[in-house]
Amino acid sequence: MTAPYLAFVDVHKAFAGKPVLRGMDLTVAKGEILYIIGTSGVGKSVTIKHLVGFLAVDRGEIWFDGQRVDQLDERGFYPIRRRIGMVFQSATLFDAMTLAENVALPLRKHKRMRPAAALADARRRLAEVYLGDFADRYPAELSDGMRKRAAIARTLTLDPEVVLFDEPTTGLDPVNARRIDRLIRERSRALGVTAIVVSHDLPSIMTVADRVAFLYQGRVHTVGTPAALAASADPVVAQFISGQSTGPMETPGF
Amino acid sequence: MTGSRPSFVVRALASIGRPVVIAGSAARELWMVLLGTLAGIIRNYRPGGRRPPGAVVAQLYAIGNRSLVFVAVTLGFIGMVMMYQACLQFSRAIGDLSQVGVQFLRLVVSDFGPTLTGMMLATRVGAGIAAEIGSMKVTEQLDALRMSGVLPIDYLLVPRFLASIVMTVALSIVGAAIMYGAGGLTAYLSFGVNPRTFFDPSLTLPRHVILGLIKAVSYGAAIPIVAGFCGLRARGSSEGVGWATTAAVVGGSFAVIALDFGLSVGALWIYGGKL
Repeated sequence: MTAPYLAFVDVHKAFAGKPVLRGMDLTVAKGEILYIIGTSGVGKSVTIKHLVGFLAVDRGEIWFDGQRVDQLDERGFYPIRRRIGMVFQSATLFDAMTLAENVALPLRKHKRMRPAAALADARRRLAEVYLGDFADRYPAELSDGMRKRAAIARTLTLDPEVVLFDEPTTGLDPVNARRIDRLIRERSRALGVTAIVVSHDLPSIMTVADRVAFLYQGRVHTVGTPAALAASADPVVAQFISGQSTGPMETPGF
Repeated sequence: MTGSRPSFVVRALASIGRPVVIAGSAARELWMVLLGTLAGIIRNYRPGGRRPPGAVVAQLYAIGNRSLVFVAVTLGFIGMVMMYQACLQFSRAIGDLSQVGVQFLRLVVSDFGPTLTGMMLATRVGAGIAAEIGSMKVTEQLDALRMSGVLPIDYLLVPRFLASIVMTVALSIVGAAIMYGAGGLTAYLSFGVNPRTFFDPSLTLPRHVILGLIKAVSYGAAIPIVAGFCGLRARGSSEGVGWATTAAVVGGSFAVIALDFGLSVGALWIYGGKL
């Protein structure tokens, strides 16, 4: 039996003594699109931030392509961040740079490309997400959907093997949300990119995901195909999918 | 098993220990920001280093040129008020104003010029740096920089650190000159002090100039480090950025006062009564 491409093994994480992840186990196959769902504050974003070294586990192990990554220091994560890209919840474009300069930055820093070559490549990447005509505009001049697509272009510019999406369609109108979905699907199907997507967007989940992991009380409660999740008889899963305000699901803060 | 309530002594020690632990942790982080910035200078400026093009020049303008009017006006007014009060007290006490300008220049060069400039920059520049870095922190832009292969300290703090040192020295010189000139004008117009007597640099020695320059360099280094540290500690949303900005102004001003005290005591210890 071969080791999984990505694996979280008994991961624990607490903030100020308050546990968020309580022994989470999850594996991801190469080329798979895995959605992580769950209520707000359950630890979905926390989970993916461990993979690129923004958070350190309190206990447990994280493996990527045969390498244990939870013990790496900041410098040790440099090569990992060339292979794993991340699209943040907000676009996180740098306000003082044009879209082309934003997208060129990882090329200049990670691949040490010259500024002119990096900018030329950045323009090509922006054209791929239908923003070629906006390469010289600043982020503040664009809509949320355009900024999000530019952020995706910046992440994809290093041709990562894995892309982490933190709520990529949150705050977008349905048309832009479906365009983002199409981008995720095309990348995965055409280039074999593995995608881990944190999302609450049910249309997205049902049409794009290969598998869905439902996080509840700091652990993976259920994992399976979107169809299996939709047909689940588990009362907690059923309540989440149906969006009912009353039911067996415990939601801290309510 | 039932938990027993901690004794008064344990609770008293805990109430003292907690702030001490927090302060110790903050001091260690501040120190790490300073070391990180110094290491960042080496990383950026060694042969083949990857410094952000034009970043220092942009910061020289933002920190220096855009603070010039603020510093000039503030130190000019303070120079006038101080000299008016000095002349008033001297005339009441001894009636002789011949030494006012000579002593004022020594004070302005070795202390008031750089220290008041530092205080002004701690508010304007410190707040700006903390707000910018803090807002980038809470909107995950710093994480996005890390994902792009950029160390936030190298990219954001190193150019501000270098520009702040250069411009604090330059503005201290300009501020001291304006303060001295405004003081001389006030002494002449309000008390009839002869400008030839006032503008007499004979008692101002190289050691006073060196002390003033050392203070300016120290303030120029401390302000962005404290502000960067506060910005990097910002948490949450706009409230966290507000906290970081306030802390940067308070911390930067305190750093200027503490450095002024420490460097003045050090100079007195070295030169004794000859300072």
